[in-house]
Amino acid sequence: MVVSYAKRAALILLAAFGSGACTGTVSGPRGGTSTGPSPSAGTTGASGGGTGAVSTTGGTGGSGSATGPSDLLGLPDGAEPLARLHKLTISELTNSLHDLLGTGAPVSAVEPDDVAAGFAAVGASTVAISPSGVGLYEDATGGATTFAFADATHAAAVLPCVPTGATDTACASRALAAFGRRAWRRPLTTAETTRFVNLAVAIAGAQGSSMLAGMRHAAWAILQSPSFLYRVELGAPSAADGGRLKYNDFEMASRLAGALWGSVPDDPLLDAAAAGKLSAAADVRAQATRMLADPRAHRALAAFVDDLYGRRELDEATKDMTMFPAWTTTLRDAMTEELERRIDDLVLTQKGDYLSLYESRATFVNNELAKYYGLPTQPIDSWRAATLPADSPRVGLLGAGAILAAYALPQRTSPTARGKFVNLALLCRTIPDPPPGVPPLPATSDASQTLRQKLEMHRAAASCASCHALMDPIGFGMETFDTAGQYRTQDNGHPIDATGMLGTSSFNGLAQLSSAIRAQPVAGPCLASKVYTFALGRAPTEHDAPALDALATSFSKNGNKVDALLTDLVSSDAFRFVTPDK
Amino acid sequence: MARPSRTFLKRRTFLRGVIAGGASVAVPLPRLASMLNDSGTAYADGKALPVRFGTWFFGNGIIPERWVPSSTGQGAAWTLSEQLAPLLAVKPWLNVVTGCTIKVPNNSPHASMPCAALTGAQTSGGGVTLPSVDQLVAKVNGTGAIFPTGLHVGISNTSGATALGLAISYAGPNAPNPPNYSPAGLFKNLVQFAATAGTPKPPDPELLNRKLVLDAVLADANALRARLGADDQQRLDQHLSGLSQLQQQIVAAEMPKATGTITDPDKAYPARGADGAISRQRSQAFADLLVFALASDLTRVFSFMFTCPACHGNYADCGLDATTFHEDYGHRLSPKGVTYATTGFNTGVRYAMSNLADLLGRMKATPDGAGTLLDNSCVYTTSCVSESQTHGGVDFPLLVAGKAGGKLRTDQHLRLLDENVSKVPYTLLTAMGSNATSFGMAEGQVSTGISGLLA
Repeated sequence: MVVSYAKRAALILLAAFGSGACTGTVSGPRGGTSTGPSPSAGTTGASGGGTGAVSTTGGTGGSGSATGPSDLLGLPDGAEPLARLHKLTISELTNSLHDLLGTGAPVSAVEPDDVAAGFAAVGASTVAISPSGVGLYEDATGGATTFAFADATHAAAVLPCVPTGATDTACASRALAAFGRRAWRRPLTTAETTRFVNLAVAIAGAQGSSMLAGMRHAAWAILQSPSFLYRVELGAPSAADGGRLKYNDFEMASRLAGALWGSVPDDPLLDAAAAGKLSAAADVRAQATRMLADPRAHRALAAFVDDLYGRRELDEATKDMTMFPAWTTTLRDAMTEELERRIDDLVLTQKGDYLSLYESRATFVNNELAKYYGLPTQPIDSWRAATLPADSPRVGLLGAGAILAAYALPQRTSPTARGKFVNLALLCRTIPDPPPGVPPLPATSDASQTLRQKLEMHRAAASCASCHALMDPIGFGMETFDTAGQYRTQDNGHPIDATGMLGTSSFNGLAQLSSAIRAQPVAGPCLASKVYTFALGRAPTEHDAPALDALATSFSKNGNKVDALLTDLVSSDAFRFVTPDK
Repeated sequence: MARPSRTFLKRRTFLRGVIAGGASVAVPLPRLASMLNDSGTAYADGKALPVRFGTWFFGNGIIPERWVPSSTGQGAAWTLSEQLAPLLAVKPWLNVVTGCTIKVPNNSPHASMPCAALTGAQTSGGGVTLPSVDQLVAKVNGTGAIFPTGLHVGISNTSGATALGLAISYAGPNAPNPPNYSPAGLFKNLVQFAATAGTPKPPDPELLNRKLVLDAVLADANALRARLGADDQQRLDQHLSGLSQLQQQIVAAEMPKATGTITDPDKAYPARGADGAISRQRSQAFADLLVFALASDLTRVFSFMFTCPACHGNYADCGLDATTFHEDYGHRLSPKGVTYATTGFNTGVRYAMSNLADLLGRMKATPDGAGTLLDNSCVYTTSCVSESQTHGGVDFPLLVAGKAGGKLRTDQHLRLLDENVSKVPYTLLTAMGSNATSFGMAEGQVSTGISGLLA
């Protein structure tokens, strides 16, 4: 009835959710000193529930190893390092496969990104790949390698040499070592290279097979390995730095490529690592400058923009087609691209003041979007720079269709959702979840009121007022744009009142609201902290306060330029050393 | 029949290639007629057929006064409520448990409560703190199946904003089992284990190649694991589990095939709509595939996320406006008015129950041992809130369908005022053979079940 079957993996019987592992407290700071994991700002619960049972003396739950993580990483008294495996996000996986195998390589669907603290890059630091997800990676990397190894010509674009046959192990070894170094972001050991060469030769030896097929399977194995699917950045004690845990040169190459390119390193970056040229801050700065001038930087910036400004929300947004017939998926996608292009131009081409985005009239459009915005169309459609007229009510980041439509409902706007977005994304405020037992919006006669009037009644309830007071008044400033992002002057047949207050600044309408946001002292530091969160792949903790303060100061001093911010960030201790390191 | 065919010999050669040295383990097989006793009621060695477990989840809750049946009791003593009426055909297999309360504090609407109902514990940073009940069951009964940690499917892939994410099955913290939204994708996974008409095909040499590739991947994964801290080791263990399951599936694909009928969704449901949109046809396509997998013993556990907690998708498939079901109907914020929204919300809940009935009906129609697949299964159904408008946790929606191989009493409405919701999953966990002495954590923790559910 059953067949005996040998498999090493079967011996690794898994205690992924072992009994003792989940009994720690869930959230909140721990009492005492360094007896538990560092709370990760309550954002992901990454190390909260799972590690409470780990002690300096006990094992680590199933590994049977005598060495606990604290010993391994040189951490004091049971302190648990923040997670060190950064699972590639979907955009990072796609970029990496394209850089390794060619931009034509197809990348089939894998498990969705896990978003934490607003960023897929943060969720990627804690989430595991599910058993069925492993199969999706097999499919995705299988399809991509099939494309890249379709014939010797294709393979020659991927590998430094293409073996002529199964006996050409010298070339196979050189090719797989080079490919593996980029994919794993570090040199392979001799044993690892040999393993992949042997795999290629074994598969080449089967009837009807070939060395090209063998090489393709070896590349497939490299790309299915956790060493590719996760960025592995462990750090090691640095004697020159008082024993602090420092990322080694190859780990720095991995981090830089992740943060600045959303991808794997290139050979110059890995060569710099091999030469020990990613240890000093000045060397890192030089590489960062080079990398930001490379086209690959656009992709990482786009991933940042997509997460910060809500591409997921926009992609999920539906609009009532009878009320908003001009709303199409192509228009929606054009709105996403508009925002990416605007910010890309500002950061990487103009190298301008990032906060000018909030009030700028400079944008990019194609014909569908131009028509939607009331700008001239072109005989031949293409993306081009455009300027919104000086008297246009549409202005700045908040006037972008992508923002207006993402934080709104199918049939009506949501001042609450729009205000919440401004609070979270632009002002770095936190908004508590609604309390349980929230009373419903009062059943009013629907035609008699604007949405603002209904929400103001809602806010009359004390339990709702405290949070809605943070959100709704900001959202009211955007009420002159409907849920599909079009300008309007009336809601439900009544004139719109778009006045409000932000801090001590009063405003009337979106343009004044935008200026008020830009003028908030927190605007610059907030953006800096978002970039920091994205680049480090984790939500800041109290350990990060000094680094964040320093970056905010230099960001302001540099005229709010994000390219300079990135260079400062990746060459700072916060990026080069493990946190917490003591 | 006189001598082994060439195909058979090739397969033997293949297996010799795949099976090489080291410790031996059991290769999972689909259930074959030859494994059963003459009457087909149990395994030939007298062992009972496995009991299957599933979680079926729908977001956005109910209207308690239209959900709770008007009388309690068993059999003719109770009748289905307005919102449960679509389940009429499976009423004899149904338990409706009402009156229970989420005891875990409602820190985060649509996250605290579904976490409590699925795991017995509070949410942690938008995820779970403990494994979900289906994964606890999988540890008890999953070993030996080709998909030991279950099959996980979903209909709507629209999120619920700040709710618990797009998964209802969790192996543990940060270890979701995200649903597969593609019936065609699931069919592709399962069809390799299904018998096909005509001459058996020769073994696919690529299977052996895949196995060799995965050996190399496992070598890397094991080497890496040793270098990691506890959190990352747990994450990598999930990955290793997946690699090991893939290896087993490769071998199983060359073993004797399941004899049940698998339905190709492209042929049976060509108009099922895009993956991720809410569609009853896609739900039926998944129901067919799950029933095949359960009846063939490819898996013993599943989760079915019809919609996620607080799902913002639309229910246009049942005639409602293509708006946000959560806001416009659940919260009654439709511009067309509260009465319109309430009527539509009720339609939506009934529509969800119709989708559940599609699955349960198919299980009821599938012979299994001496009875039906529904006799030998237990399907736990819940949601993310009770009253949708107020995010209520009182009178939480809880359904149990199936007799769990005779372990459960059925055709009942049990009204258990202010009981801890955790008692229902705990009862089911023990009925599935777990010897766990408690379930959940803190306010959600229970150590006694609901005796009225047990036969």
